[in-house]
Amino acid sequence: MSVDIKELQELIEEEKIAEEKVRKAKEEAQNILKAAHEKAESIVQAVDSDTSWENLKKARLEEMSRRRAEMEEEYKRKITMDDKTAQQNFEKAVTYVVKETLRVEI
Amino acid sequence: MSIPELRAEIEKGAQEEISKIIDNAKREAEAITTEATTKSQALNTERGKALEREMETQEKAELATLRMDLKGELLKLRSKLCDRVFEEAEKRLAQIAERGGKEYNELLIKLTLQGITALSGKNFVVQANSGDVKAIEKELKTIQEKAAKIRNEEVVLRIESQPSKSLGGVVVSSEDGTRSYNNVLEARFSAAKRDLSWEVYKTLFGEEKD
Repeated sequence: MSVDIKELQELIEEEKIAEEKVRKAKEEAQNILKAAHEKAESIVQAVDSDTSWENLKKARLEEMSRRRAEMEEEYKRKITMDDKTAQQNFEKAVTYVVKETLRVEI
Repeated sequence: MSIPELRAEIEKGAQEEISKIIDNAKREAEAITTEATTKSQALNTERGKALEREMETQEKAELATLRMDLKGELLKLRSKLCDRVFEEAEKRLAQIAERGGKEYNELLIKLTLQGITALSGKNFVVQANSGDVKAIEKELKTIQEKAAKIRNEEVVLRIESQPSKSLGGVVVSSEDGTRSYNNVLEARFSAAKRDLSWEVYKTLFGEEKD
């Protein structure tokens, strides 16, 4: 095989072009990795800035407030009921106390 | 190998290396984002659990405090209602004593006899308020007879007006004053208040204590 100088130079040029392409590909690969790291960081950071936690907390606080109101209402009902029952049984209780106070066993 | 073949070979080799570099970078990038996603999911889960725990603890504490406060209020109200029963009963006892009458006189006899029965000896001093003293004096014979029957011996009573005013009832003391039995209505009422509060509670509210 005979190769003249010009062809050899063209081959060397071709080799240089190929090397440049590889260098650029390495650069591109670095950029891909850099972008991936940035994306990864933003994914993790997104957890911190996630407002759904605040919404969940708000929902739970609202639920708690509802349960508090329910409990207060329940006791309010109990108090009303107690008052009513006590009014109904008041005379019976007074009579009982008077009777027992005056009960004398010899 | 001809020159064009060599050129093609160089081009092919370069393309292969480029593909390999880019493919590796893409794979590594994918692994990085996958790991970040997994990490963020784990963080999310942990944060969710932590928030859940925090909220639950807060909820339990607040609701327990509220329940305790409300229960306290309820019990306070019930206690007030019980107090009203005793207040009314005390008024009625005073009215009964003030009104006097046959039934009340019989009560005075029983109160005196109970005092005599509780003490030893045969000479007693019976103290009462001025109104009751009159009633007891009227019934003195009956009381002494009944007391003698109970004690199986003669009983001598001396009736005195109480130095301090009471609603009614008697204080029976031994002649020497060393022992006495307090049967005034205030003392009986205090004992009733102490002993009957649970019964009054049940009567008023018709249920067991919480």
